[in-house]
Amino acid sequence: MPLAELEPSRFFGESFLERSATYERFLQIDSLLAWIALLVALAIYARRGRRLMSESAAGRVGTGMLLGMLGFGVVWLTQVPFGLAAVWWQRRYDISQQGYLEWALGSFFGLGSTFLFVSVALAIAMGLAGVLRRWWWLVAAPLFAGIALLFTFLSPYLIPDAEPLRDREVLADARALERRAGLADTRLVVQDVHRYTEAPNAAAAGFGPTGTVILWDTLLADEFPRSEVRVAIAHELAHLAHDDTLKWVGWLALFLLPATALIAFFTRSRGGLARPEAVPPALFVLVVLQLLATPLFNLGSRQLEEAADRAALDATRDPAAGRALLRRLATTSLTDPDPPAWSQALFAQHPTIMERIALSYEWEEERGRR
Amino acid sequence: MNEKPIRLTVSDDLRRSRLTVFFRLLLAIPHLVWLSLWSLAAFFAGLANWVATLLLGRPPEPLHRFLARFVRYVTHVYAYVNLGADPFPGFVGKPGYPIDLEIDPPVRQNRWSVAFRLVLVVPALLLFSVLVFSYSTYEEVGGISLLGVAALLGWFAALARARMPRGLRDLIAYTISYAAQLWGYLLLLTDRYPNSDPQTAIGPLPDRSDPVRLGNDDDLRRSRLTVFFRLLLAIPHLVWLSLWGVVALLAAIANWVATLIVGVSPEPLHRFLAAYVRYQLQVGAYLYLIGNPFPGFTGAEDGYPLALGIAGPYRQSRWTVLFRAVLVLPALLIAGAYGALLFTVAFLGWFAALFTGRMPLGLRNAGALALRYLAQAYAYLFLVTGAYPYSGPCKGE
Repeated sequence: MPLAELEPSRFFGESFLERSATYERFLQIDSLLAWIALLVALAIYARRGRRLMSESAAGRVGTGMLLGMLGFGVVWLTQVPFGLAAVWWQRRYDISQQGYLEWALGSFFGLGSTFLFVSVALAIAMGLAGVLRRWWWLVAAPLFAGIALLFTFLSPYLIPDAEPLRDREVLADARALERRAGLADTRLVVQDVHRYTEAPNAAAAGFGPTGTVILWDTLLADEFPRSEVRVAIAHELAHLAHDDTLKWVGWLALFLLPATALIAFFTRSRGGLARPEAVPPALFVLVVLQLLATPLFNLGSRQLEEAADRAALDATRDPAAGRALLRRLATTSLTDPDPPAWSQALFAQHPTIMERIALSYEWEEERGRR
Repeated sequence: MNEKPIRLTVSDDLRRSRLTVFFRLLLAIPHLVWLSLWSLAAFFAGLANWVATLLLGRPPEPLHRFLARFVRYVTHVYAYVNLGADPFPGFVGKPGYPIDLEIDPPVRQNRWSVAFRLVLVVPALLLFSVLVFSYSTYEEVGGISLLGVAALLGWFAALARARMPRGLRDLIAYTISYAAQLWGYLLLLTDRYPNSDPQTAIGPLPDRSDPVRLGNDDDLRRSRLTVFFRLLLAIPHLVWLSLWGVVALLAAIANWVATLIVGVSPEPLHRFLAAYVRYQLQVGAYLYLIGNPFPGFTGAEDGYPLALGIAGPYRQSRWTVLFRAVLVLPALLIAGAYGALLFTVAFLGWFAALFTGRMPLGLRNAGALALRYLAQAYAYLFLVTGAYPYSGPCKGE
């Protein structure tokens, strides 16, 4: 059935469509404002951040690390109001039970890993810039891509509150689907998230021997029929079978090469990235490039998701369960099934719910023709 | 700033009678009983003083005198029980005890600060808890304060040598001085907030020239932005410190073997371990807000406001080298108590520095004392020095 013929009202009640659109609109505007605040804050920091060099007794690299961390600290401060607004909105719609203080503290301490990552990245980049001068990026970009590859490989072991999947029936289904996907010995873990959210979700992480499917415990709640859980598992297994996590690293590598080259170019006026005063503008350039690249990354991601949806349909041969799962995902997460195109381009890494439902009909038709 | 309205005076000569030291806790029982009775009376007198001061704007003379006597008596008992002084004290808080208090006559106090005294005293109580207040039950030994550790170690030292080590005595006097100021503030003898500065707590301090010594050029100014993120900003340093710590441990073992054989720590190992100890101090200073700038990653000698001077390698007694891991245990006990002090200093200092853009002098100096002791303890453990850590405050740190 062509997408044009699929009216969201055929699958969802009017009140839900209205409610989900309102819910998502607020979050989208909140995100847009957060982006603007981020850019303004970093632009100001790029101009004035060098004053903070007086707060360091470390050498050039150490001072650069401090400025990098403080840059992200400033970013965090500007994002707090928008984050709190999002939490307020999610609580208002019963999507999240997280408290404001809990969110703020979690977000603050989460910043610690960002600081560590930033300081390591800057130590590498500034160290290389000290030796290779203008050409540091030629070595740094592949090196960062290599580090990203390593992290992707190890990421399944860094997931908090994850336990191996113990439900025998779900496990049996997963093993059968795994064989159909051409995989073996995939790790299957359940992540405990119900304390923070009721929204169901699943994800794939790692690759090769560390390939892991992560199921949120909210997905394994009683109201989810087994057939729908099978679809979710098949979808994530397809990501692993298609090496999508590796493709992400590949895209990152493609982004890093021009991005680091541009950072090197734009920091020349401050003596290049070897100098700590070049760090604030470097952060600004990096974030601008990242924001510009986001729609492209999202486009690529939506294609990978569509391919995974197709593979899940091939594996489960149960388009009705797929549609039921999508409807349930939409209703429990209050996802707008048919959002405006601009928000889809800017924020969405998955096709819309309606596009995914249309895909299942399309698959059925193709199967009927065969 | 004017002289403190509650001042500790120390005229103790460090001599101790082994017999009274041995039975000190039991000998103190009559005082502890009397103190608890007097505390009850002081509680009601304190309440009356609060109401009167709130109404009159200054404590009435008789109540002030009574409560001043009480605080002086508490100080004498604390000093006796914790071996800060030797003679059995009197029961009425009369002046003249080797560790004594001078308390100024009553003056006008700000009524707002009187009204909210119980709330205002909370941060000082936090510091009091790590400096003075130890607790334990039959089931478990709870927190042991700096005063408790100093008294415990002082008991063994005084029994063995019939003298109290100066460092421990001064440390005891410092904690008692803080306690006296706290009681004085709480009971409205003064509205001057308790000052935790060890440099001004007990009168003249020794001007020592230890092989590991701390120079302090910090100007108390703090950047609010870096204070807010201080814990997170220190993460790269903490990671680097732990990695360096693994290598330092191996180097310390090598240093132990080499020093045992040669009698002197080999220059390269000494340099490496000295840099590690310096780096530890700089990271501690940054993390606990004792210093302001972000430190370097190499433990360089210069460039940080809190500069740890470490003398070059020198001959050490092979016996003390052989048993260093055992000999260091008392110092590590004190270091643990100083660690708790550092944590509290950082906690309180974080709020103060965030609001005022400055670290309070008292907190900064208390933290510097703790850091210097920790550095000396680690330097002793790693055989960077043969000098035992000096537990009391020193001039100029």
